[in-house]
Amino acid sequence: MEKDKVNQLYNFFLTRSLLKKYRENGRIVIGTLCNNVPEEIIHSMGAVPVRLLGLSKSTELASAKIPTWLCLYSKRIMEDALKGEFGFLDGIVGMTSDDTKSHFFSAYSFYLKPRFSYLIQIPYVRDETSLDFFEKELRRFIGRFTSFFATEFSEEKLKESIEVYNTFRELLNDLSELRYADSPRLSGEEWLKLLLASTSMLKEEMNDHLRELLSKTNDFEGYKDYKLRVHLSGTDFYDVEIVKMIEEMGGIVVSDDLCTSAGYYKGFVEGKTLKDLAKRYLSQSACVLTSGVGNLSIEDRLEFIRERIRESGADAIILLKDRGCEICGHQCPFILQEFSDFPTLVLDLDSPYPTEQLRTRVEAFIESYG
Amino acid sequence: MELQEWNPLGYKTLYRNLFKKHLARQDELLKKGRPVGWFFSFYPSEIIYIFDVVPAFPEQYSAYCAARGSSVDLIDASVSKGYGHFLCDYFKTTIGSIEEPEKATKPLMPTPDFIVDTRALCVAHHEMTEVFARKFGIPKYTINYPYWTSDALGYVDELTKMPERVEELYMEYSIAKLKGLFEFMEKVTKTPLDEEKFERVFETSEETSKLLIEITKLMMSKPTPGSQREIADLVFLAFFVLGSDYAFEFAERGYEIIKERVKRKEGVVPEEKFRLLTFGIMPWHSLSLYEYCEMLGATFPINLYVNASLHLCDSKKPFESMVRRSMHFTNSTYDLMDSIIENARKADLDGALLLENTGCRITSIIIRPLAKILQDEVGISSLILEAPQCDPRVMPLERAKTQVEAFIESLR
Ligand code: SF4
Ligand code: SF4
Repeated sequence: MEKDKVNQLYNFFLTRSLLKKYRENGRIVIGTLCNNVPEEIIHSMGAVPVRLLGLSKSTELASAKIPTWLCLYSKRIMEDALKGEFGFLDGIVGMTSDDTKSHFFSAYSFYLKPRFSYLIQIPYVRDETSLDFFEKELRRFIGRFTSFFATEFSEEKLKESIEVYNTFRELLNDLSELRYADSPRLSGEEWLKLLLASTSMLKEEMNDHLRELLSKTNDFEGYKDYKLRVHLSGTDFYDVEIVKMIEEMGGIVVSDDLCTSAGYYKGFVEGKTLKDLAKRYLSQSACVLTSGVGNLSIEDRLEFIRERIRESGADAIILLKDRGCEICGHQCPFILQEFSDFPTLVLDLDSPYPTEQLRTRVEAFIESYG
Repeated sequence: MELQEWNPLGYKTLYRNLFKKHLARQDELLKKGRPVGWFFSFYPSEIIYIFDVVPAFPEQYSAYCAARGSSVDLIDASVSKGYGHFLCDYFKTTIGSIEEPEKATKPLMPTPDFIVDTRALCVAHHEMTEVFARKFGIPKYTINYPYWTSDALGYVDELTKMPERVEELYMEYSIAKLKGLFEFMEKVTKTPLDEEKFERVFETSEETSKLLIEITKLMMSKPTPGSQREIADLVFLAFFVLGSDYAFEFAERGYEIIKERVKRKEGVVPEEKFRLLTFGIMPWHSLSLYEYCEMLGATFPINLYVNASLHLCDSKKPFESMVRRSMHFTNSTYDLMDSIIENARKADLDGALLLENTGCRITSIIIRPLAKILQDEVGISSLILEAPQCDPRVMPLERAKTQVEAFIESLR
């Protein structure tokens, strides 16, 4: 695999250099606080949507503003924001996906006073009434956005953006095939780096990079000397270091259901209208809290995980349980129960990571099942 | 510090009567074989009276376990089953009682036939009802009200929940979901909607809600006429049994009592030294904390959590009223606090005691912004106590008392 190319792209995530450049060039840059914020809409209005992820390793400043026991995801965003790392943002868009995300939106707006902010209300059930509501809610958001930034919205432009995003999804699907091979030609670490890079640039640019990578796949060397094919389960997780550690211990991460990965790109928009877009985001089964009529969202999520495992041929699951994550907290026992005949390791994650302890547990797990 | 004589309103007897009647109704309906539903705070409580169902309230049951000392074991049982540590105590206590009923305080909640999930307060309700529905294999109905933003409501009166305006889209969607709830109720209870009963229950709800609002207004009098030990429990009426005759009887009598007190200018303690605002779910295992503060001379004319639980029901507009119930500041962005600030100013406060209920994102994330607003806008400082509502290990009562004493000392 072209490590250099991946690291070069990952660097955009670490430096946010492209985002800053877009802003310097007069583009509106909008931070999104959930992978279910329909980026296509923001993109279609000429702005740059950025899935906000914090880079701070420790969170002292955030601890003075929000509870220390919240998920790492929210604490790190708050920390970066308080450090002034998000100076390139023109606004934020959140979503009522869970309590943390709703109240974090409030706390962020309260302390950081972004120029523009909007909280998208997402229904939890995919019935017709809710779908209709969601579409109207997206229109409401568009109305607020266009009047604040004096931009325009058109169905035509939305269609173009949907195409860009669907292409992105398609390219990632193609690339993910490399992970499913017996000798995966893309490691979990490389994969996550690519996904993170994709949050730090316009998708059309990312698509070019992905195409370039895909054109060279035949040159990629496969990973043969691994002991265990691992599926990663979790939520807003993006610590490359942990994935790297799992792979150094002999695992190879071949699939996941993370909000930052499969939950971010899986699922095409079937059609070109706002309604189609609303449908895609409402029926995103990786989303941990929405469900079909008469279903429970946990059941939909379990099915999503099963599908990923079927595709990838993973032999084991590593559950990344952020101690402050409300979703992990409620759903973990069901995942464990559902996959009880599958080797499963739960890693309790809290900052700072007890690296040595995690390493020992992962090593023992891979040794036993690999 | 010197303790003063404590002179509560005497609502204890009223609560006792209320619970007696509520439980008698439960028994009667259970005997008749009526279905059991599990409900959560801010649900449209009128439905249980309209459809004659047996309600059980996991939040209230957990509080009961905490007051009786079994919640710690239940919380531990939940964590040992793999549920997260930093989740709402009500969830952990309830799931603990399902997983290991032998450790729970009796009587246990009746097994549910269905469950109603409203996101009128927290997504945690949605998350926990998923778990409960799956455990019991029962149907569940979900309403998600909006998490309100200032551009959807404008100004909202803290007590009545009358907004300056309402975003039509949000109101329409919420009402559509509520109508769906009535259909769901008809189905699970196999009982057609009785329009007359519907009207009657909402009329009772309206009268009761008016009285509850008056009680909380009178609490702001000087000196503070009652104890938070009694007032904090009003949430039971407002959350769970609004619409019942017994809630109305309570409110009527409660209002008379407090009105008389105010007329006589009698306070909960002879010498009121400080007037404090409080917010957060009270630690049910340490109920005497409020009483202790009051005996030190620090009274509580405002409890924002109680105020959040109230709304003025308009029986002419029942569906709108049910939606307005969700328009409290704990279900809103933090720029919707103007009415709270106004009331806090009127109440002539000296400080605030804020309870951070670990695991509850609703009360906890808002705490520091609230403290800042109270400092900047009302000029009062706050003591934040980390106090999960069912787990005394984080903040034992004695430690809480010491911190409160130091805080009160600092107000002098
Ligand atoms: S899903 Fe979990 S990690 Fe993500 S915002 Fe919610 S609580 Fe935090
Ligand atoms: S304690 Fe908090 S999380 Fe739990 S039910 Fe109440 S508001 Fe929801």
